[in-house]
Amino acid sequence: MPYYILTCRSLTYAQRAREVLSAAGFRGAVIKTPGAIAASGCGYSVKLLRGRLEDALALLGKQGLGPRKIFLEAADGYREVRP
Amino acid sequence: MIYFDAAATTLQKPPQVAEAVLRAMKSLGSPGRGGHRYAMEAAEAVYNCRKKAAAMFSAPGPENVIFTFNATHGLNIAVRSLAERGDRVVISAWEHNAVLRPLTAAGANIAVARDRAFCPEETAESFRRELDKGARACFVNMVSNVSGYVLPVYEIAALCRERGVPLAVDASQAAGTMEIDWERLGAAFVAMPGHKGLYGPQGTGLLIVGAGAQPVLYGGTGSDSALPEMPDFLPDRLEAGTHNTAGIAGLSAALDWVRGREGRIAGLERELVSLAARGLESIPGAEVYRDKTGESQGGVLSFNLSGRDPEELAERLGRRGFALRAGLHCAPLAHKSLGTFPAGTVRLSFSAFNRPDEVSRLVWTVRDEAGL
Repeated sequence: MPYYILTCRSLTYAQRAREVLSAAGFRGAVIKTPGAIAASGCGYSVKLLRGRLEDALALLGKQGLGPRKIFLEAADGYREVRP
Repeated sequence: MIYFDAAATTLQKPPQVAEAVLRAMKSLGSPGRGGHRYAMEAAEAVYNCRKKAAAMFSAPGPENVIFTFNATHGLNIAVRSLAERGDRVVISAWEHNAVLRPLTAAGANIAVARDRAFCPEETAESFRRELDKGARACFVNMVSNVSGYVLPVYEIAALCRERGVPLAVDASQAAGTMEIDWERLGAAFVAMPGHKGLYGPQGTGLLIVGAGAQPVLYGGTGSDSALPEMPDFLPDRLEAGTHNTAGIAGLSAALDWVRGREGRIAGLERELVSLAARGLESIPGAEVYRDKTGESQGGVLSFNLSGRDPEELAERLGRRGFALRAGLHCAPLAHKSLGTFPAGTVRLSFSAFNRPDEVSRLVWTVRDEAGL
């Protein structure tokens, strides 16, 4: 099943984003950003496990927690998504 | 031995603090350093502590809580961020060397808002005068570690806000017993140790910070690692190198214990200060430096015995079972303000684990030392 990966500025921002999403009924997990999509070295992301991407982005945007980039994780690799 | 040196560090801690440290040492990796289970569990432990501290001190968010080694570390960040060579910086007459030395090293033009102990109106007026002469920044100690004087920090904060002067607050002797509301203060920085009134392990501290802070340490942060510059976002900008994860886990347990008890602890400390002061004042030749109304005094009390060197007296009391601190307490400026420089004072400082009977035993022993 494909998942969206929301790359974040920092580990703390990823943790905050996960909490905001969780409180609104989304399900997400903080993960180390996979090397293939880590633009500037180390970083952390929220992997969106349940919920609509557009709704999640709107929610995070309101909290000042918008992701740096969004990727779709599929069996054949990662594809950047531009909402 | 009876421990009366909580202003240096609280010795007795809630048992869950040591338990949390031990658990962390056995099971946690390094937060932000990898995606494996041990790193991620460490990341959760650290984040939980950030959240608790943010809630306790009204920080805008967990990212505004910076983990430091102690309050001095946080105050160095504040000085580095606010003061450059020649800048006029207004400070209280009760500052610790944790403020005085970094400002001196930065080459700041230090202006002291002089006042007498336990006169908050005079203190506020002195700050008003000094701030009106112009200031690049202002540093205030919430509670003197020498006299226990509780400065009118919220009034001083309002004066700073009205004049657009960034404020840094040293909450070393206040955290855990007094309200520290970052939002209400409108401060640029609030620094505090984790190991005093918050009852966490030594080697922990908290800095509550807004935007524009400059690091004093540069290095790995586990973020934007390809870039040679420090990240421009908090908390990473101010947290280079490996965290004291075990210490932070202990501090997190300590915050759970302290939160909700602050009023009771402050009440107990006031009671012990009053008991000690009245007992010591009954000894001929004793000079006790305190606020007789109790309104502007925290859990610290200084005294001297006429004709006795404070260091020598503290040593003798130490041999008789009391852990006290004498001398200048790393705060020569405060002793100058109190009129006790250069010999200093004998200082008692209390925690939630002290009892009135311990104070009575001390008073009896000092009375004996005075030859009564």
